[in-house]
Amino acid sequence: MESLNERLMSALQQVSGYIYPNEIELHWSLLIVIYPFITGLVAGAFILASLEKVFNVKELTPTYRFALLTALSFLFVAPLPLLAHLGHPLRSYEIFFTPNLSSAMAAFGFVYAWYLMAVLLLEVWFEFRKDLILWAREERGLIKWIHRALALFSTDVSEEAVRFDEKAAKIITVIGIPSAFLLHGYVGFIFGSIKANPWWSSVLIPIVFLASAIVSGIALVLILYTIVTLLRSEKIDMKCLDRLVEFLFYAVIIDFSLEVLDFIHRLYQSEDSIKILSQMVCNKLFVSLVIMQVLLGTVLPAIFLVFFRYSRFPEELRRLAYFISALLIEMGIFCTRWNVVIGGQLFSKSFRGLTVFKVEITGFEGILMSLALLALPFIILFVVLKILPPWRISSLPVDKN
Amino acid sequence: MKRFPNQIIRLIIPFVIIIAGLLIAKKFLVPASFGKLGHFRADALGEAMSKPIHYVGQQACADCHDEIVKKKAASYHKGVACEVCHGPGSAHVDSPTENKPPAPRDRGFCPVCHSYNPSRPTGFPQIVTVTHNPGKACISCHNAHDPVPPHAPEQCGACHGDIARTKMASPHVDVPCTVCHETPTEHRMNPRMYVPTIPANREFCGKCHAKDAQSAKEIPRIDMGTHGERYVCWECHYPHLPQVYNGAAK
Repeated sequence: MESLNERLMSALQQVSGYIYPNEIELHWSLLIVIYPFITGLVAGAFILASLEKVFNVKELTPTYRFALLTALSFLFVAPLPLLAHLGHPLRSYEIFFTPNLSSAMAAFGFVYAWYLMAVLLLEVWFEFRKDLILWAREERGLIKWIHRALALFSTDVSEEAVRFDEKAAKIITVIGIPSAFLLHGYVGFIFGSIKANPWWSSVLIPIVFLASAIVSGIALVLILYTIVTLLRSEKIDMKCLDRLVEFLFYAVIIDFSLEVLDFIHRLYQSEDSIKILSQMVCNKLFVSLVIMQVLLGTVLPAIFLVFFRYSRFPEELRRLAYFISALLIEMGIFCTRWNVVIGGQLFSKSFRGLTVFKVEITGFEGILMSLALLALPFIILFVVLKILPPWRISSLPVDKN
Repeated sequence: MKRFPNQIIRLIIPFVIIIAGLLIAKKFLVPASFGKLGHFRADALGEAMSKPIHYVGQQACADCHDEIVKKKAASYHKGVACEVCHGPGSAHVDSPTENKPPAPRDRGFCPVCHSYNPSRPTGFPQIVTVTHNPGKACISCHNAHDPVPPHAPEQCGACHGDIARTKMASPHVDVPCTVCHETPTEHRMNPRMYVPTIPANREFCGKCHAKDAQSAKEIPRIDMGTHGERYVCWECHYPHLPQVYNGAAK
């Protein structure tokens, strides 16, 4: 393994202009890119689920439970990049036991715990309770006991109880929408409130983060819904997919407008950092920002979505176009996170030079670790779908009062 | 009376268990003295204070070696504490004859601060160890308690090595430093008190580079009236390597 010195020397050759000695190496690397990416997927998937529950968008019913379980699976993984980045996971409980109220970063434990315990787990429980009981009645062996335990051994499936479940799930969703906004708005706030960094310091950042979270969440559910339905050899509900695409398009437009607004705002303000930031965008971030985020990740899929949504092409072709667009959008949002996190550290605080980011392959912050963390939610989702299949309807009726 | 929903009771039980478990865990895991003085474990202060002391501070040295401390206090090394070079002194204070503090007698130690490094401030005494009296210990010529050069440096490059080497590769190689920098003789021994000048106006460079200058033909010429607006020449051109254009000033 190359020594720290060798790494610094090779990085030093790609440094341009004047930078301070502690700016050569980036302190927040790939794992901190993944963290807002995953949290964004959670918040976005949950907001999509809420569209059906609170705003009564009936066409989205096939994706409601699926979106909830997707959000849950990704939420389990959300804190892992942070734990891996910080090291010392055995100390993580201290964030709860000795809360530091003056630190925004230390608030993550509570924001996360609230969202997991008070919103997602409760909503999933109320949503699936009736089914868990009915499934357990027709099952045997281990799975029967898993389902019984997950239902907390409740047995009441009277109409009154089921009505209460529905009401409770709706109330939790209403609480969940601001909570999802809080979760991802908080992640944006962490960056936006760093006033020493002109690339991050903007009140618009939390809102841009939120909009991009909704985009990435809807795109993820669209991708997963398409794959899982095909794997189950079922027919894809085209009405649902069309509606998803409409919402995805609206979200992309809102997200893109906000980003452009932020960009114009910076240009017009033209603070003393604008020269180095424009140099950075034109050189170091050109591929990841202009080409991958804006052109391939936003403009092209937005055109694709509108074109194929209102065209008369066969369903298969439209599905394929939607799927590719969603993949491109997902790549674009990953680049958004990359450009925020990595971009914010590429320029010197002297505003006179740029450093370089070298991705490692192995190691805690490397590509392998990142791929493992990105794959983990899909594995968890696979297990969750086995235990709580959202499409399974029990053949047993609900008890009459 | 309306029945309290069974679901809520079932949910309350695990929540109560989790919260109670956390409260019990908190009692065991949070140190008793946490938060007494601030957001940290107050007992940590006592533990840190009970650790053996290694460094005693300059005042302890002055109690016995007051002449050396006085001499050093008037020298360039006044900001360097005794223990920076001699190491931690507590053992020496406890039994002065048994534990003699070491003094750096080889060539490895002084260059930690004085070897040539472009990031050090201009005028800070720096040497290139391989060419500067190789093999000789630093203290054989320099007294670290009152460090002055044993004789005045003969050339500017003795201290300003980076500039001297840069100038060697430039068209200004034959222009002696003193043409542009008026240097008081005292600067050699007392560099920070007597600072050389730098050209303060455009006309100075114009003596060679203006269109009507009485200088060699091959020297590049510019129209002083139109070129460079109100800037002094060296704000854009680096005189020690004038072929490099300093774009930052544009």
